[in-house]
Amino acid sequence: MIGASLFPTVGDSEERANQLILWLLDNIIWPIVLLAFVIFSVLLPGVFSSAQNIQFLLFSSAALGMLVLAESLCLLSGNFDLSIGSIAGFSAMFTALFLHEWFPGMPGEVGILVILLVGATIGLGNGVAIGYFGINPFLQTLAFFIIFRGAITILSSLSVAPLPGAYTFLGGSTIATIPGLGDLGPLSNVPVAILVLLALYAIAWYVLNYTRFGLAVYAVGGDATSAKEAGIPTERVIVAVFVISGALSALSGLLFTGYLRAATPTLARGDLFPAFAAAVIGGISLFGGRGDVKNAFGGLMLISMIQIGLVQLGVDAEQIQFVNGIVLLGAIYLYAIESRLRARVLSE
Amino acid sequence: MSAPLVEARGVTKNFGNITALDGVDLTLREGEILGLLGDNGSGKSTMVKILVGIHEPNAGEVRIRGEQVDISGPKDARDHGIATVYQDLALVDELSVAENIFLGRMPRKSVAGVVSVIDYDRMREEAERILRERLNIRLDPTTRVEFLSGGERQAVAIARALVTDPDIVIMDEPTSALSADSTARVRDLIRSLRAEGITILIISHDLNEVFELADRITVLDNGNLVGSVDIDEVVEDDVVKMMMSGSMPQETAAESA
Repeated sequence: MIGASLFPTVGDSEERANQLILWLLDNIIWPIVLLAFVIFSVLLPGVFSSAQNIQFLLFSSAALGMLVLAESLCLLSGNFDLSIGSIAGFSAMFTALFLHEWFPGMPGEVGILVILLVGATIGLGNGVAIGYFGINPFLQTLAFFIIFRGAITILSSLSVAPLPGAYTFLGGSTIATIPGLGDLGPLSNVPVAILVLLALYAIAWYVLNYTRFGLAVYAVGGDATSAKEAGIPTERVIVAVFVISGALSALSGLLFTGYLRAATPTLARGDLFPAFAAAVIGGISLFGGRGDVKNAFGGLMLISMIQIGLVQLGVDAEQIQFVNGIVLLGAIYLYAIESRLRARVLSE
Repeated sequence: MSAPLVEARGVTKNFGNITALDGVDLTLREGEILGLLGDNGSGKSTMVKILVGIHEPNAGEVRIRGEQVDISGPKDARDHGIATVYQDLALVDELSVAENIFLGRMPRKSVAGVVSVIDYDRMREEAERILRERLNIRLDPTTRVEFLSGGERQAVAIARALVTDPDIVIMDEPTSALSADSTARVRDLIRSLRAEGITILIISHDLNEVFELADRITVLDNGNLVGSVDIDEVVEDDVVKMMMSGSMPQETAAESA
């Protein structure tokens, strides 16, 4: 019979300590978020940490949050998507025209279905090209980034409004307007977009951690060859990831439209890099298979806090971009150090 | 006489202008350990990938217990009772021991009769049980695979192969990257699988290993079948000559004379 002694049992105190160190490294974003919150609260006493400001922080993060989620999913699967901002802008403009000019009088609920369908269809194009035809994700999504950004101005160079209330409800209304909910006191003024933001991150976290699809995304991102050899249909997983990414980008477009009360030609323009930065700052690995969407939420909060905090301090918009870049660079260096620490811990 | 467990006949596989396998026959008998030998580029890995459905042959057929089968993917192979332990082990470092063992076929449970989620409790219990009862190894099923030693990783890969209760386990270079201690242990694992009645195909460069474990040896050379011999009919030098010359020992001897 085989003796167990040749393979020392994993689970002793040293291994546990190593796993704790790696867990702390994996979740390092949260102490940083807390530190940023404390710093801005000190610099903006009585303003930054107020309930109203925190609510505004979450509200203004909701649309960007969907793009962060879309990018995180792609990164976890070992891919990335440069077209998320363009998909958000194009699907929002397409659906606004659908509701306002092509089919006026169409219920807003139909518009929600249309925008999600448009986003998912574009995502399907990305997914099929990358998953089945082996097109490099950078080149494929760069092409779609350019095509759909250009297509927005072909559709309309002007903002489109007004749009049906049911269509802008998710992005621009408060809980008080939900039919049949009654008076919830101070909670009545909470924007629905915050609920959408929190719900989508909770669902994404649950799906990625507790479903076969979620584990398949991690497996494909961690080692696609191994995943394929283990019987995971890697091509289908990649297609599904990009379809969901497209639908989340479209949802971002819907929330932006509600927030702005109009579909604008510049909607979500320039949001690709903040979304990418938030995911990376939140510890989603650029190499796939590693990361947690709850930490990507932390990255979103950090980016949004810096944005709002600096605006409230009177810093110019261009200078805020400079600070965002510095934060991203800092995060990249931090995770480079983290990966070295990880390698050291694992080699012990 | 009953049909062999696995029989590949006239298998040919081309990659562009390169012929990786040229009309190769391979027979695997029930309950044996067969060593598949050959130099780099001899076609060993291609033959294995055909048996597990990663490659589709350009010509030839595969029979299992006499019946022709169409294996077009790892799932088909599993359905026909074939499991594989790849040379790179096909483990995902970021996932746990249990998640790796059940990768691609995780048990599910229904939540509130609506949502289907992974049954982590059952998966961990099963993973722990397979490792303990069938491989006699105690590993925490929640440990990430990146923490494991080479031998432990090999054990996880073998445990994954056992999840589907296979009749046949194919092992590609099972000890190539292991320490001496871990190698000895993995060889014990292979013997214990055979004792359970599992038929094993080992691809190896290590002649000592093949002579220690196998009942028969099949040698490939440059995409062609050299031949198959019983282990007790040959010595290592005979097999080396088969690999070097591309011909059977008696043919080599006749040519020398």
